[in-house]
Amino acid sequence: MPDVSVVVIVYNDADRLPTAVQSVLDQTLRDVEVVIVDDCSTDRSFEVAQRLAATHPERVRAFQLPENSGAGGEPRNAGIQHTTGKYVMFLDSDDVLELNACRNMLEAAEETGSDIVSGLCVRLHKDTRNQKRDEWYAWLYSTTRTLESVTELPDLFVWDTLSTNKCYRREFLVENDLRFPKGMFYEDLMFIADAYLAARRITLIPNQVYFWHVHERGAVKSVTNRRHEMTNYEHRLEIHRRIDALLAARGLDDIRLAKDVKFLKHDLVLHLRDLPFRDESYRQEFAELSREYLAGISPEAYARVQPIQAICAYLLQQGDWDNLIPAVDTLTNRDKLSSPLAERDGRIYWCGGHFDDEFGRGVLDVTDAGYHEKPVDKLFLRNQLTRFEESGAASGGALRLAGRITNPLGVISPGARLTGRLEFSARRRSLQSFAFPVRALRHDGDTVHWEAAVDLGAKLRPLGIVDTIWDVRLVLDVDGVSTTTRLTVADTALSGGPLPVRPRLTRMVADHLEPHVSARGHLAFRLVSESRQAERVQQLIARGVRGKPGTLAKTGYRKAKALRKKVTSGDSKLRVYHEVFSRLPVRKRTVVFESHLGKQYSDSPRAIYEEMRRQGLDFEAIWSYSGSPKDFPKEATLVKRWSLPYLKALAQAEFWVDNQSYPLKLSKRPETTYVQTWHGSALKKMGFDQPSLKAQTRQQQAEQQQSLDRFDRFLIRSEHDVRTLAKAFRLPEKTLLRVGYPRNDALVRTRQREAELGRRERGELAAELGIPDEKTVLLYAPTFRKAGGRHGRFVLPFDVERFAEQFGDRYVLLVRSHYLNHVVLPPTVEGTVIDVSARHDVTPILALADGLITDYSSVMFDYALLDRPLVFFTYDYDEYVHEGRGTYFDLLEHAPGPVVRSEDDFYETLKSFDTQALEYAAARREFVAEFGEYDRGDAAKSIVDQFFAHWRR
Amino acid sequence: METSMNKYGDQPRDIFFVSNSVNEMGGITSWSHQMARLFSERGHRVHVIGIVPPPEGRVHELADDIPYRTTTLYAEHPPTVRPVRGLKDKLNVVEQRRRAAREAEMHEQAAKMTALFRAARPGGVVIVTQVWAMEWVALADTAGLTVIGMSHESFATCRKSSRFERVKRFYKDVDRMLPLTREDADLWIRQRMDNVGFMPNPLPFFPEVPSDRSARCVVSIGRLHEEKGVDLLLEAWAQVAPQHPDWTLRIYGSGEEEEALRKLAAELGVAASVAWMGRTSDVPGALRESAVFALSSRGEGFPLAPMEAMATGVPCVAFDVAPGVREIITDGEDGFLAPPGNIAEFARHLDTLISDKELRDAMGTAARENIQRFSAEEIVARWEGLFALVER
Repeated sequence: MPDVSVVVIVYNDADRLPTAVQSVLDQTLRDVEVVIVDDCSTDRSFEVAQRLAATHPERVRAFQLPENSGAGGEPRNAGIQHTTGKYVMFLDSDDVLELNACRNMLEAAEETGSDIVSGLCVRLHKDTRNQKRDEWYAWLYSTTRTLESVTELPDLFVWDTLSTNKCYRREFLVENDLRFPKGMFYEDLMFIADAYLAARRITLIPNQVYFWHVHERGAVKSVTNRRHEMTNYEHRLEIHRRIDALLAARGLDDIRLAKDVKFLKHDLVLHLRDLPFRDESYRQEFAELSREYLAGISPEAYARVQPIQAICAYLLQQGDWDNLIPAVDTLTNRDKLSSPLAERDGRIYWCGGHFDDEFGRGVLDVTDAGYHEKPVDKLFLRNQLTRFEESGAASGGALRLAGRITNPLGVISPGARLTGRLEFSARRRSLQSFAFPVRALRHDGDTVHWEAAVDLGAKLRPLGIVDTIWDVRLVLDVDGVSTTTRLTVADTALSGGPLPVRPRLTRMVADHLEPHVSARGHLAFRLVSESRQAERVQQLIARGVRGKPGTLAKTGYRKAKALRKKVTSGDSKLRVYHEVFSRLPVRKRTVVFESHLGKQYSDSPRAIYEEMRRQGLDFEAIWSYSGSPKDFPKEATLVKRWSLPYLKALAQAEFWVDNQSYPLKLSKRPETTYVQTWHGSALKKMGFDQPSLKAQTRQQQAEQQQSLDRFDRFLIRSEHDVRTLAKAFRLPEKTLLRVGYPRNDALVRTRQREAELGRRERGELAAELGIPDEKTVLLYAPTFRKAGGRHGRFVLPFDVERFAEQFGDRYVLLVRSHYLNHVVLPPTVEGTVIDVSARHDVTPILALADGLITDYSSVMFDYALLDRPLVFFTYDYDEYVHEGRGTYFDLLEHAPGPVVRSEDDFYETLKSFDTQALEYAAARREFVAEFGEYDRGDAAKSIVDQFFAHWRR
Repeated sequence: METSMNKYGDQPRDIFFVSNSVNEMGGITSWSHQMARLFSERGHRVHVIGIVPPPEGRVHELADDIPYRTTTLYAEHPPTVRPVRGLKDKLNVVEQRRRAAREAEMHEQAAKMTALFRAARPGGVVIVTQVWAMEWVALADTAGLTVIGMSHESFATCRKSSRFERVKRFYKDVDRMLPLTREDADLWIRQRMDNVGFMPNPLPFFPEVPSDRSARCVVSIGRLHEEKGVDLLLEAWAQVAPQHPDWTLRIYGSGEEEEALRKLAAELGVAASVAWMGRTSDVPGALRESAVFALSSRGEGFPLAPMEAMATGVPCVAFDVAPGVREIITDGEDGFLAPPGNIAEFARHLDTLISDKELRDAMGTAARENIQRFSAEEIVARWEGLFALVER
């Protein structure tokens, strides 16, 4: 008995069959037999199969079905009958097995006694350069694991529905009478569902076992490529219904739910994407088929898929075509906003019209997506083409175009100054682009209507050889801010034929532009030719490109590209920094300032800079920024972080003033003085006190140390800093400057002034934020967290709407997330809860807040200087303290304010905010004495005195 | 010996171990001689081959009575050369000549191996224990033999070294490539090496009498090298010792770090409760007199010391630095694991085992039981199963 039998099925594929069979004969496991089953091909397939059998009489046998069965199921069923091996695998004639597949599967099967062993299937796109790889649900196959039942991993059941990447115990197939259904597409789905449910043990291995060859441009399209056909969809639904029945009979609700989720995420999406290109009758039939099936999908499944997937399914179910077709545009183009949206009771909905349906409201609520917070230049708006006409035969290549741009929530205001242009650019390596003005632009309901006349024939001059495909974009300028849209074709016919154009290089290849719809539904043009001669030239060129000179040219081009990449890479920049810039003379009286890796103009570097300006020192200030230079001081020289001017400035600076770190790999020359202000006292373990650094080897630690050894001065707020930060960074005593933080001077002064006046003064910020005088201002400033929410963003640990409802009459809540996190607030809380995360400097916000809510952020140490109440909302304390990197002291013991863990306790504490101010007064004093003894309000001044006094004019 | 069939009826085979050196101090040498002895006892004909003699001062004296052959190819270490980079290297004639000479020499030495391999009967196996040695095996003629390449370190450790690329290159087409654990194997497979299995190390010994865990003593055994993380152990000990003044930390082993470590112990104020024991030739004895074993390494493969401790009934506390460590110790069942570098957690676990004799006994007993899945018999059977699989 052979160890493994491989059933190879073939239909009209004589050329590729020998390769498939050879991949079995070449297996590292020798004892493998091949059973070829021909589905009554009309080509030489069976002949080839018989010849293979004759060449390898011991190992290959060939069979033929009496008549064509039309699908892969019957041949496989027949093949199983003929197998003699202990294990059975399936292979299609156009694919191949990995060479170790049989050995790896056999080893796993014998070790575990599993009925099914499944490995990784890899799709190889044979028509692409380098054969693009595409691993089939690789996340299921990241490690070896054995399941006692498929119910342990419902995702396996619903996602990996291939029959081919698996090895089955033959007895198992026979005993359970497992067969592929006759004459249906998706025969794999049913077979594999039966097999998974029958298997008493299943082992997954991370090895590649099966290479699925994908031929996109093949003349005969496979089943999955012809998915737009209705029968196809019917078959799919039929199989789904049968599988649902199986699951229902066994009471496997978890799998059913996972399967519903997959239906919404995958099966339905495949067909929905085609809808905009189908006619009315197709859409009706599709909707009818779907509606019946969707009725059985559990509402819970809607909550587990991406919002747009749930929205599309719901609108389809409701038959709301006006909203569905645009929604499909977002399904295809994820970043696009294709609906005008609707606001109701402070929540944002994808569309109106379904408010009376509670389930619909839930599905259509897109408040969390944060569309309402985005300015127009951050939105990718749907732009539907409504007119596409040639402007008369005589015009020779002129077009009249019109369309409408979605205007969600009136983001483009009625009074806005609008201009626009249409841009045509070559998709591949955009060598040139051509712009045409948009003639008319006007508001029209919840859209902006536009019209343009485009004389392609006269103005657009392609090269003619490399720029075959041309994309079209409409750039809309709204009061000086621009947003780019693509032209969605949907129902507008692209009437007229190809338009004549005059290529710059040669007309031999092509001389017309033909409109078409791109895979994402956008208008594009293809350079084509009207004459037969051009076709021959194209063939010649194609041959040239694939031939030796072409290959050489392409290799040369790629090498040049690689070289360019290398020259502009970080490594090269580092070399220029060290070998060129660092040899230039130091420029006296220059200071390079940086705060939080260039992300902000803030913190102690800013306080020092402003003090220097206040004293009117004669020096050159250079500020580093990353992102936008917008909020940085105009009087300073601004350099983008990691740019050559930045590196040059650093290499030649007399002083570096920073609160976090300049790029680790830049060494500092001895003539430069580095004043490291740091950005907060430590609760969490830092530097070499962190477990991750302790676990490093000495060499790795030495590399880290090198970047820390650059600090010439390090600012200290208290002896706590000396025991923690200075020790953790292994800083010598002589670097320590016990002067406090310049950024906190303002807080100390605010407190002093408050004491002098006997009342609190509110500055400009309160007015700017529109905070009424009678409201108490609370600030919520949590520390950085890695975990993201549903959209990969930071989720507040309490319900802001509940806060607004309960405390809106007394409090205004400012939310400042860590600069690496982002929050979204619903419009319901407008005026009550305000996001202040984007502001560079936190100090004025602290000065404004009458109370602070935080968790483990170092802001607690600074805020305590104001002697105002603090609340610690440490909902994840145990996880944060024990599983994380650990803390220097027990927050619960030292906290100068109440520590709450649950949301209810949090609200309860907020009620008694006033009494806490008194209750914790002593604790706050102790806290300041312990952690902020050197913050006396003159830090910036003493630093300037110490380092820069001689620059006074 | 030639004719003795082993008890499972497996045929006697010619088995070659090929390492960098036959007798260089360290884990690979102990391992290969242990395996060589086990295979010999099963009737296989074993030959241990080293490419070069060990560096000076790193010689491990082999026993006189070894029942198998050993061969070292080079009389002295060949010159090291770096790979050719850029035009400058290509034009460096002296360097090129050195390189050519080295290459010719490699072929010559590989030919010696070819001669040894040709004498093997069908079913022979070549086990390459280190990828550096594979460069010579690749030049030799291994027709008719099964070639197995091994990586005796964790995937993560290998990945950080220059060996990573060489493993992917030289082990790509061997019949089986064996890291130490399933977890490592899965990681190698995801580097798209589909010829990967795995093979744990065998338990070096199994004492008749286990420790009764009543001695007030935590023990650590290993070279005093930064990789072993004794500095981390001392820091953890400094958090535990004050609560348990009657307990001692015994540190066995010697090495270049000893002075620095003694100084650190003094700084941490634990000099009095730490005993520096030096190298020991009686590991079983040292373990029998201990109650808790501490493994503080920064990196590991499939460490023998904790296996030996567990065989002696001594529960371990270890940093979870490699799949091999989690394979050996089941956290919370027969020992404790702490996240790498997390001294507070490590100290907390030590404290738990010191304070709770009952738990210590339960874990020690479980450890002695559980570790037997890596007994010499089990591992030899695994190897023979693998030889058979590759022939099917």
